Amino acid sequence: MSATTTSRRRGFRLFALDMNEIGLIVILLVLYFGFGATTNGFLSANNHLSLLRDAASIAIAAWAVTLIIIAGEIDVSVGPMVAFTSVCLAFMLKADVNVVLAILAALAIGGALGTFAGSLRAYFGVPSFVATLGLWSALRGMSFFTTNALPVTFPDNAFLDILADNMFGIPTSAVVMLVLFAIFSFVSQKTAYGRSIFAVGGNANAAELCGINVARIRVLIFTTSGVMAALAGVLLTARLGSGNAGTASGLEFDVIAAVVIGGTALSGGRGSMLGTLLGVFVITLIGNGLVLRGINPFFQEVVRGVIIVAAVLANILVTRYRERRIFGA
Amino acid sequence: MQTARQQDPQSLVAAVRGAIKHYPGVLALDDVDFEIRRGEVRALLGKNGAGKSTLIRLLTGATVPDGGEVTIDGAALTGSGTQRTIEAARLGVRAVYQELSLIVGMSIAENLFLGRWPSTMAVLSHGEMEHQARETLARLGLKLDPRRGVVTLSPAERQLVEIARVMIGEPKLVILDEPTSSLKAAEVELLFRAVRSLAAAGIAVIYVSHRMSEIRQIAQAATVMRDGKIAGTVEVAGADTAEIVRLMLGHNEQRDRLVEVATGGPAVLSVRDLTVASKLSGLSFDLKRGEVLGLAGLLGSGRTELLKAISGLDPVRSGTVLLDGKDITRVSYGERVKNGIGMTPESRKEDGILPLLGVDENTVATDFSKVAVKGVISASRMAEAARDIIRRIGIKTARSDTPVGTLSGGNQQKVVIGRWVYAGSRILLLDEPTRGVDVEAKSQIYAIIRQLAAEGKSIIFVSSEIEELPKVCDRVLVLKDGRLIQEFMAPDIDTDTLMAACL
Repeated sequence: MSATTTSRRRGFRLFALDMNEIGLIVILLVLYFGFGATTNGFLSANNHLSLLRDAASIAIAAWAVTLIIIAGEIDVSVGPMVAFTSVCLAFMLKADVNVVLAILAALAIGGALGTFAGSLRAYFGVPSFVATLGLWSALRGMSFFTTNALPVTFPDNAFLDILADNMFGIPTSAVVMLVLFAIFSFVSQKTAYGRSIFAVGGNANAAELCGINVARIRVLIFTTSGVMAALAGVLLTARLGSGNAGTASGLEFDVIAAVVIGGTALSGGRGSMLGTLLGVFVITLIGNGLVLRGINPFFQEVVRGVIIVAAVLANILVTRYRERRIFGA
Repeated sequence: MQTARQQDPQSLVAAVRGAIKHYPGVLALDDVDFEIRRGEVRALLGKNGAGKSTLIRLLTGATVPDGGEVTIDGAALTGSGTQRTIEAARLGVRAVYQELSLIVGMSIAENLFLGRWPSTMAVLSHGEMEHQARETLARLGLKLDPRRGVVTLSPAERQLVEIARVMIGEPKLVILDEPTSSLKAAEVELLFRAVRSLAAAGIAVIYVSHRMSEIRQIAQAATVMRDGKIAGTVEVAGADTAEIVRLMLGHNEQRDRLVEVATGGPAVLSVRDLTVASKLSGLSFDLKRGEVLGLAGLLGSGRTELLKAISGLDPVRSGTVLLDGKDITRVSYGERVKNGIGMTPESRKEDGILPLLGVDENTVATDFSKVAVKGVISASRMAEAARDIIRRIGIKTARSDTPVGTLSGGNQQKVVIGRWVYAGSRILLLDEPTRGVDVEAKSQIYAIIRQLAAEGKSIIFVSSEIEELPKVCDRVLVLKDGRLIQEFMAPDIDTDTLMAACL
């Protein structure tokens, strides 16, 4: 019995845990070389930098949202959170607040707002979709209200220029993205906090009985998400040179799509940072390639929609196949 | 008069003849004959696995027998699959199970007609529905407003609505599965009144219960099952509890007792006058070091509630829980866990395992810090800790990171126990650790419990399978309706007397 279990178990690792990721890598290669062979300028160095920059704007928030979805929760407030923190940062810089302090304050605002949403979930049982939907509406509204929908400009700032520029030949935001990828991968795999997130998402009752503080985990993941969205807001502000109330519109859906394409189950308990990284690149490549090919922007949305659903459907079929092989008898 | 009616073939509502049913590895029904007549209330008793549920499933058409036949109101069931259930329902078989199946957000009337709401031209006619609902409730002697939302009803009232629901259509046979297990004593009388109305209307009732006091009040005869057979059907009036117990247990019980000597270590856990709202009243007892303390009692007697109160999951109304002489009554669950209390839940799947995570992570989830170096979980330490538990508890798994959801029930249970051994808990509260576990795994779990006790751990062992208790326990307390009514010490723990005390 143990021999067959072993081989099955190995098989399942290769074909299910990794199959989704292998599949995504294949899709990425097809997209990359497909666009490369057929689209002018796709393989240019500049376009590669642009790809990385676009990826970073999704990925930084997506790392935290991956944790949230693994815990069985959802965060739809990312876009407005980015816009609101960007506006806050711009106002502070306009008022000549020290740039480092202003950035820290922006991150703190993001963290506090995330904590608020997480507390509603953890202590009052407000579904996280509703709690973050409230933030989604309120923060976007607040951004427009305080700026009258006008960009908030501020004096040139050397520190922000570094953030907007390249580092080691690649965009600074991409460097931040990769460093955070390493940190999030590590935290999710190697720390009690990270593993507790998987435990809560897999079976919250059992996690609670094991003595894991489920409520605290639920608050912390939203705090993290708020801080990451704020960081994305800081990088965006640096790049744009102003605070914009209407920026990052619809970003939350790109983020959720990237996480879900990456194989993280919306039902919780299952997921990986590597999957999200691949999901981010799938979304970025599609967007970039379609733009360069001059496809009608409205039709681009259609293509994106089809690809998101197809990727998730494939993921569900893989999971079902695995569960029939492993859990069914 | 009873005899006259028994001879009248017209009065036969349901008959099972020569029924045989195999499941992989077990003979669930072995040539069973069963008859019930109009207006009769028949108690059905038997241990877990005696064949009660299979017999009920045969009558409701949920199971097709491998041999023999089932006749309802003179017509033999012939269909298979869902068709058979529909057939049985059409002939008048209704069952009310322990888990309530009402839709809480709807009114009583809507629940009564669930899915078959009276309508004219596709528009629901609420007036007609309420009218019919009122009549149905009145037939059972219930004074409930059909417009009330189910959410406002007490558990007993919900149970009554469930029973009222089976009155829709023309019921001939109503099966009630442990209907009083979640009711308070005062509410039971309401249920009895409804059952008597059913019987007075000529409906046959099968009443699954083990509470002898209730059976005496409500049933004329009791059928006892054992090992897939009918052990006997007795007139309730003439039968005493001892006779029922004898029928339930038979006399071929093996006495493979694992307990050697009753231990007399110091008390590590003391419970004094513990009262939990409407569930437990005035419980006092001590748990000694190295002792296995059994808790016997019927479903709904308060076993799980007691464990939850000791572990701090449920608030207590009054009384104290002392750990090593220190009052921990107001201490949180998390703190009690740190102080050495570990609890394994009754429902392994819903509250016990983390199905997607490996044996290793399921084990260390009770204390990540023990396998972490400066906050970083060390893969090698975790694997080592898991291997240690796998070896000590005897968990059968290919690898230490195999997802627990893929293991057998017995091995899942061992993981759930093992995580507290890993955490170093001194007091283990095991709620039905052998439920849904195969025979081999059961005896392994008994051995694990004795071994842990020998290592100085103290264990409270809850089981609804009475015959397990003499095998593993140094002492057994009997819970009945939220009170401790009796205490038995090894080696004088006897299945028959225990069972009689519980009923």
